[in-house]
Amino acid sequence: KITYFQSILSYNGGCVVAMKGKNCVAIASDLRFGVQLQTIATDFERVFEVGPNLYIGLPGLVTDTQTVAQKLQYRTKMYEMREGRQVRPQTLMAMVQNLLYERRFGPYFVEPVIAGIDPSTNEPFICAFDLIGCASTPGDFCVAGTCEENLFGMCETLWREDLEPEDLFEVISQSLVNAFDRDASSGWGAVVHIIEPHQVTTRRLKCRQD
Amino acid sequence: MSAEMLAMSEYGRDPRKHHFSPYADNGGTTIAIAGDDFVMVGSDTRLTNYSGILSRNQTKVFPLTEKTMIASTGCWADVLSLYKDLQAKLTLYSQEHHDEMSTPAIAQLVSTVLYWRRFFPYYVSNMVIGLDEDGSGVVYHYDPVGHMEKLRFSSAGASVAQIQPLLDNQLGALNMKDAVPPKVTKALAHQLMHDAFISAAERDVKTGDSCIIYTVTKDGVAEEQVKLRRD
Amino acid sequence: MNIEAPPLWSNGPKPGLFYDFPGRSVGQSLVNDHAKTHTMYPTTTGTSVIGIVFDGGVMIAADKLGSYGSLARFRNVERIFKATDEAVLAFGGDIADYQFIREVIEQKVRDDECGGYSKQLDAGALHSWLTRVLYNRRSRFNPLWLDCVVAGFRAGKPFLGFVDKIGTAYEATEVASGFGQYFAIPMLRSAREKKSDGIFTQAEARKVIEEAMKVLYYRDCRGFHRYMVATVTKEGVTIDDDLDLKKDTNWDLAHLTKLL
Repeated sequence: KITYFQSILSYNGGCVVAMKGKNCVAIASDLRFGVQLQTIATDFERVFEVGPNLYIGLPGLVTDTQTVAQKLQYRTKMYEMREGRQVRPQTLMAMVQNLLYERRFGPYFVEPVIAGIDPSTNEPFICAFDLIGCASTPGDFCVAGTCEENLFGMCETLWREDLEPEDLFEVISQSLVNAFDRDASSGWGAVVHIIEPHQVTTRRLKCRQD
Repeated sequence: MSAEMLAMSEYGRDPRKHHFSPYADNGGTTIAIAGDDFVMVGSDTRLTNYSGILSRNQTKVFPLTEKTMIASTGCWADVLSLYKDLQAKLTLYSQEHHDEMSTPAIAQLVSTVLYWRRFFPYYVSNMVIGLDEDGSGVVYHYDPVGHMEKLRFSSAGASVAQIQPLLDNQLGALNMKDAVPPKVTKALAHQLMHDAFISAAERDVKTGDSCIIYTVTKDGVAEEQVKLRRD
Repeated sequence: MNIEAPPLWSNGPKPGLFYDFPGRSVGQSLVNDHAKTHTMYPTTTGTSVIGIVFDGGVMIAADKLGSYGSLARFRNVERIFKATDEAVLAFGGDIADYQFIREVIEQKVRDDECGGYSKQLDAGALHSWLTRVLYNRRSRFNPLWLDCVVAGFRAGKPFLGFVDKIGTAYEATEVASGFGQYFAIPMLRSAREKKSDGIFTQAEARKVIEEAMKVLYYRDCRGFHRYMVATVTKEGVTIDDDLDLKKDTNWDLAHLTKLL
């Protein structure tokens, strides 16, 4: 029997990308939820709000996406009650690292991406992890998911420094949509969050459905 | 041989056990863009084996006739053999017909030659590029066993994942509201190709060192080499 | 029918038949399973060969050890030979395959000489010929287990080429096989980059080859202190076949590594 299965990480498909701009950040993902080559749902959000200016995308095995999202919600709420303040992006990063590394030898199959703005300094922040919690905090963009390579190619060419929110929206949208159009496991709609200190704009993108 | 073994790095294997694989992945990336009266094709110049760099100055684009070229990446041994085979066939044709084979005919020939090895394939990603009988640029893209598609632009090889979405967007004008595909000029094709190679070299270890860009027009083939990162 | 689900996480989750993660079955053998097999592994082997181009010529080197697995079995094996006045070849890999191909090449050269109808085989021609022979053998799944370095002249210009057992062939200003890829190539390339024009003199080439052979002797367990160097210039081929690194190496530090 011939199967085209590669890894658990690409079992359900999906991708997330985050980008820094000038005093703003953006995080975007596709909306497909599939089982190998079969598409189950096209309204599956894999980017979750953690705080007013803080989002996390969890591409990977969907059961783990949901588990990790719930565990993080639990931990961030406990943090907020204990400390009486919002979780900072840096804090969320440490939290995710801890959560993932606790399962070092039986990992959650997600590769999280965080995008947010530090509530005290208004500094944009993005970071990405591997599935056991190794974080990197690049100055430009983070990508993860089944079309990660495609996203790298798009972002590496389209991204520029100091993008204004509207330009950042255009760059991240074009990067995401054109990247996942060349990937069978991702696509079927997209959602983009543009995070600025005073507001978050969420848009759904129209794209090809195949 | 199992797929697991193929995926395993050389140094990851038990050092005492030797193992024969008829294939190697020697990397390399190619891009081709057709215009109305020209066609531009480029390749990076890095030749690799696992993490080793065999050569920093090896083009993957080869001339077939005055107005046709082939861009091949993948298993380098197969690339060389395929090219030699094609050269021999084209020589026979030209001596028999006292004329060069046309680009569409070469495109079909390549498909046939690849399919001849259907059950022991040439492990090569090919593009045939050239000017057709009307003098306009064409790109033919192949899979390793001879499936052929005629295109206006394409990329192949190690960094295809990074480059192809970009070409779709910038040349195909996909996902842009009310946009029509731009008129492909030499300047646009060159700029885009250069940017694409720079981006690919940034993220793919198998692409780098430099890129050679060939421009095929009715007046012949122009060649230009541009540096890329070497790490 | 397989009704038992493999363990959930240790080798991939398989909760029943619905969520089946194929391609992850337990204990899959890594042994290849071709119906017909030829010699798919080498027996008596030679390790790295290295080569560089210098101003007006080419220089290649290989040590003289024939290993039988980890046993240093034959201590005086020649792995470099002169084919013609403008081509020398060096081989790593299976010594028997090397000796076989050497006979073939020598007969080719004799045929050419006796026939008198073709010009002398140069390095470029031999390199191209080797490419076809090795590719043919690999395509028949009966490879000659060799890494070949071809050095000499092509159309009057210095030539240095490489072919491996599947027919991967390229030309370069410095080539190496095996451990030489990891140890010698960086040495040769950085030495060349230190030169403003990137061109070695013959003496410089000899020095950097010696340094590279020394490092290989230190660090490659299948390396050896006795080695050969062949130099091809317009004047012809010279082969130094009694070189020894023993006096140039220093193992005083060796005992310290045991502390770790």
